[in-house]
Amino acid sequence: MNKSISELHEMLVAGSVTSDELVKESLEICKKVQEETNSFVTIIEDAKGSEVTDNLLSGIPYGIKDNLSTKDILTTASSNTLKDYVPFYDATCVKKLKEAGCVGVVKTALDEFGMGGTGTTCHTGAVKNPWDKSRIAGGSSAGSTASVAAGCYPFALGTDTGDSIRKPAGYCGVVGYKPTYGMISRYGLLPYASSLDTVGVLTRNVKDAAIVVDAMKGIDENDMTSWDSSNIHLVENLESSCENKKLFYIKELVDLDNYSNPTDEFKAHIDNFMETVKLCKKLNIKVDAVSVDKDLLNALPAVYDVISYAEATTNMSNLTGISFGPRGEGDNPTDMIKDHRTKGFSSLIKRRFVIGSYVLQSENQEKYFLNAKRVRRMIVNTMNELFEKYDGMIMPVSVGPAKYLDTSKNVKNDETRVLEEALQIANHGGYPSITIPNGFINNLPVGVNITCAIREDEKLLQIANTLESNMNYKNQIAGGEK
Amino acid sequence: MNNITEEMIDKYADTLLIGLTDEERKMIQDEFETIEKNMDFINQIPNIKDIEPLSYPFEMYIDDLRDDSVSGEEIQIDVLLRNCDRVEGREVEVPKVVA
Repeated sequence: MNKSISELHEMLVAGSVTSDELVKESLEICKKVQEETNSFVTIIEDAKGSEVTDNLLSGIPYGIKDNLSTKDILTTASSNTLKDYVPFYDATCVKKLKEAGCVGVVKTALDEFGMGGTGTTCHTGAVKNPWDKSRIAGGSSAGSTASVAAGCYPFALGTDTGDSIRKPAGYCGVVGYKPTYGMISRYGLLPYASSLDTVGVLTRNVKDAAIVVDAMKGIDENDMTSWDSSNIHLVENLESSCENKKLFYIKELVDLDNYSNPTDEFKAHIDNFMETVKLCKKLNIKVDAVSVDKDLLNALPAVYDVISYAEATTNMSNLTGISFGPRGEGDNPTDMIKDHRTKGFSSLIKRRFVIGSYVLQSENQEKYFLNAKRVRRMIVNTMNELFEKYDGMIMPVSVGPAKYLDTSKNVKNDETRVLEEALQIANHGGYPSITIPNGFINNLPVGVNITCAIREDEKLLQIANTLESNMNYKNQIAGGEK
Repeated sequence: MNNITEEMIDKYADTLLIGLTDEERKMIQDEFETIEKNMDFINQIPNIKDIEPLSYPFEMYIDDLRDDSVSGEEIQIDVLLRNCDRVEGREVEVPKVVA
C-alpha cells in the first residue's frame, strides 16, 4: 500500500498481486490505523477486489469521505442526525470511480457535515494525526487525510469548503487537491455551503491526484454548477515545463515583520516556506511578494463565516428525522423535529446555525449577508487581477504544524488569524488549489499551497509536480512503510 | 458590545427547531462577539454598497435547457422509505395533528 496508483496498476497487470489481495491488505492496515487514529466511520469488511482493466484505477482500494453518498453503505456525514442513514444511490464521483474499477474500503470520519478544521467534531470521536497522536489531523477531511498519510491506500476522497482538503494535507504531509469549483459534480455530496463546496482528493503524490480527478471530473446533469472539462487532461499534461512561470505570495501574511510575537514554530514554518520560494527561483519560476489591501485580508474570516453559516443553515433545514434519520420524541411533528435536531447536532453546528439564521433575517441581511458577498466579489476581483499578471499564488499552509488535540497546549494569536484562514480565498473564487508537503518542523510535516485561476488545473498540477519532483517529500508515509 | 441577546438567540434557535443548553447559549454569544468584531472589518470598507454581491465563485450560464420531461431513474417508494423510522404502508407515519 506504500505504492503509487501507477505502480499498483503495473503489479496488477503483471499478476504479481490481485485486486482481492490489495483490498484485503488495505482492510487489514485500515483496522490497525483505526485503532491508532480513529479515522473511520465504517470499514467495509466485505469489500472485494474488482476486474483489472486498462484503466489505471481498476482494482485499486480507496477511502471515501463519509459525506459522500454510497449506495447501500452507511453515510453519516459524521453526524448523529444521520447515524443510520443508508443512501440508495452513489454520489456521481463515487459512481465514476466505481465505473473505473476502484474499490471503496472505508467511509472516513469528518468534522460534522464538513463544518470545522480540526477533525475533532466527528460523532465517532476525534481523528488523530498519524505522525503524532497528540496532534489533530486537521479537518474537515480528517479521516481521509490521516489514512492516506498512514498508508491505508493510495488515495481517499475529500471535500473542501474553506480548506478542508488542503489544510489537513499540510498537517499530515500528503497532497491535497481541490479542483476548480464545479469540475467534479457535487451530486450526492451532503452539502455544507453550496457556493463553496468542492469535491477533491488526498494522495501521496501529485500524479495520483491527477489520475483520480481525471476519472471523476465532467459535466453532470444532476449538478447545474458542473461544467464541461473535456478539454482538460491532467495526467497527459502533467510533465510540461514550468520554466519562466510567475508566482506571487501575499506579503502582508508571510512577512514575519507583520507579527509582533511569532512563536518559534511559526518562524520555522515561514523560514521553511522561504526555502521553497528559493527552490522556485532555482527552477526558473519567478516569485514576487505582492501587497493586498489589508482591509480585504482582515475581512476574509468574517466573509467566510457569514456566507458558509448562512448557506449551511438553509441546506440543513431538511434534517428533520421525519422521512429519514432517527425519529425524535414528541406529540406532534414540530416537537419531534426539534427533539431530533437538538439531540442530533453537536454544539458547534448549533452555534453556526443560529448565527447563520441571524445574518439571514431581513433586518440583518444587508449589513451581514449582502456585505459579506460584496467583499467576496472584491476579494475575487483582486485575485483575478493578480492572476492576469501571475500564473499562480504560493502560500504556506496554516501557521506552523498540526495543533494539539488538547487545545490548552495551543498558543492563541489573533494576529495570525488571517494567514490561518487564507486558503479560503480559493473557495470564494472557485480557484483550483493544491497543497504538497514541503518539510518538517519539530518532526511534524508542513505543506505549501499553490492556487491558480479558474479552469487552470493543468497549470496548477504542473507547478506542483515540478516542485514535488525537486523536494524529498513525495510518497512519504507516517511511521515508515506499511 | 454584544448586539445579540439571550432572548434573540432563543428566538432564532426556536425558529430553527433547535434546543440549546445554557452552555451552548453562552458559546453562541461568545462566537457572535468575534463575528461582530470581524464584521467591522467588512463594514469599514469604503463604498461597499456600490459593489454587487457575489453569490457564486464565477459566472455560470446555463444555455442548454433540457426537454420538459421526466429525467433520471424512477425510484420505488419502498426504497425511499427505507431510511424512515415509522412507516405505514407506502406512507411516512406522523402523529395526527388534525382532529
